[in-house]
Amino acid sequence: MVVTAIPILLVDLVGSVLMIVFSFLCLDLVRMLKRKDPGNLIWTYLLWVCYGLGAFSVSRSAGHILKQILLLAGHEEIWSDIAAYSGTINTFTLILVASVTLFFERIWSIYGRILSDKRALQEAHGELIFMNQNLEKLVAERTEALARSEKQMVQADRLASIGQLSSGIAHEINNPLGIILGYTQLLLRGEDRESQKYEDLKIIEKHVKNCKAIVEDLLNFARSAPPAKEMVQIHEIIDEGINFIRHHSRLEDVEIVREYDPAVPPLYLDEKKVRQVLVNLMMNARHAVGAAGRIFLSTRWDGEQRLVAIRVEDSGYGIEAKNLPRIFDPFFTTKPTGEGTGLGLSVSYGIIKNHGGEIEVESLPGEGAAFTVWLPAVLAEKTGFKTEYKKGPKGQKGRKGPDGGRERIGEVQGGRDGADDSHR
Amino acid sequence: MGAFLFLFSFLLISLLFPGSALATQGHGGREGLYIHQLSHIFFFISMGILIYWLKNRGLTAKPGWRCIGYSAMFFILWTSDAFFVHLLDEQLELIRTRRIGSLEMAIDTDAGLQWLIPLYYTAKLDHLLCVPALILLYMGLKGLVHEKGGESVPEKEG
Repeated sequence: MVVTAIPILLVDLVGSVLMIVFSFLCLDLVRMLKRKDPGNLIWTYLLWVCYGLGAFSVSRSAGHILKQILLLAGHEEIWSDIAAYSGTINTFTLILVASVTLFFERIWSIYGRILSDKRALQEAHGELIFMNQNLEKLVAERTEALARSEKQMVQADRLASIGQLSSGIAHEINNPLGIILGYTQLLLRGEDRESQKYEDLKIIEKHVKNCKAIVEDLLNFARSAPPAKEMVQIHEIIDEGINFIRHHSRLEDVEIVREYDPAVPPLYLDEKKVRQVLVNLMMNARHAVGAAGRIFLSTRWDGEQRLVAIRVEDSGYGIEAKNLPRIFDPFFTTKPTGEGTGLGLSVSYGIIKNHGGEIEVESLPGEGAAFTVWLPAVLAEKTGFKTEYKKGPKGQKGRKGPDGGRERIGEVQGGRDGADDSHR
Repeated sequence: MGAFLFLFSFLLISLLFPGSALATQGHGGREGLYIHQLSHIFFFISMGILIYWLKNRGLTAKPGWRCIGYSAMFFILWTSDAFFVHLLDEQLELIRTRRIGSLEMAIDTDAGLQWLIPLYYTAKLDHLLCVPALILLYMGLKGLVHEKGGESVPEKEG
């Protein structure tokens, strides 16, 4: 069959020229990529692929063009001499391109590993630079944290010893006091209410009851009785505490601000005892602000550590630096004699500790004080409940302690009559 | 010493009375054609593997690498086409061509295989496949140039 050769000739010649042009354009682009990022192994790979394709395009296209020209010119014998060389080079370059292309996966994996190592090195380098630049600061921070931690441990040990001693004494005193009270009440039954002896016995009864109350507080501080826990809404307890303060103190010129976190979940705790702690802290704040001032009550839910923070802040005078380490000691008070037993914060410490929580105090003289109670949250299941305070809260807002750092002091237990304004 | 004398005598006789050397294989046969055909098969496999890895690494989601994948696909079509043409006219010799003047050609085949002629004629236009393959490669590389450096390179090992 005789057919026209024009389409084949045209496609062959134009196609050959285009192949050379585009293979060189590709090569130019990859060289540009390589110049931008010389260390990039992928660009090196593409460069080799394009070198191979360029060589193949030149060899094949030159052969085709030459063939057409020679055949058109009637020099078929010259082409038959050259054809073998042209075909060989074509085959060789085609195998070269195919071989280089096969390395794609290996190159990609190796370069991925190089990049991953490079990133790790850069991170390590960055950390080293940071450590180098902030070494002094970091050492100072760690030293300060260590000192603070040591102070807390000393105080916790001291309070534990005091608690043990108090517990022993309280148990020993409790029984004789019970006997004295019993006999006093027995004697009171047979006495005439108008007699002097009756009056004397009533005075004995009153003081014995006071003594028993103190003993009970000491036992609470020593955490001898387990809390009777139930699920409660902490915001309701705070509101009840505020109502209690309103009924027992004049608060006309005292502003009470509440800021509750709605995310706070119900807590599993001894409602009565925790209310005692909060009333105690509020009464202290009330005494601290005096006739006029501001009491700020807030809650915050730390979902990450599953802790609830209850903060009682006042705008009073604050706590003297020298008193901060002793603020939770039993019988420590700055009130005049007869106005406080000094057991309020100690009892609060014991109650919160018994709940697996912690109390922190922050204060600067002249700038008020802030007590933060941290309580652990548990899920609805109550049986087998046991949780402990693991570590300090993060991102806590606070004022600087008197020693320049944030004061953070141990744990407390509750007072019989609430207030102990030792931070006035 | 005896071994040396034997070797020396053997070399001397070989030089004085040379004959046909039959140790190396000749290359005068059709192996040139076969190696060329094998190179097309190798190229086909290589491009197929490249497409597989581009898909496997999720690179076809990026415009630059996607174009390079399409380019590999056109190269596969081209190499298949070229293999087919060589098979017809050189390997199986089912097609015989002859130039008639400058702008015409005669294409002959065996009786009953006339349908091969238009197929062969179309297949001879193989530049219609390899030129688009190179254009797509160019577009793909251009895409890589426009992409931000981090997007075109592996983000993690493996």
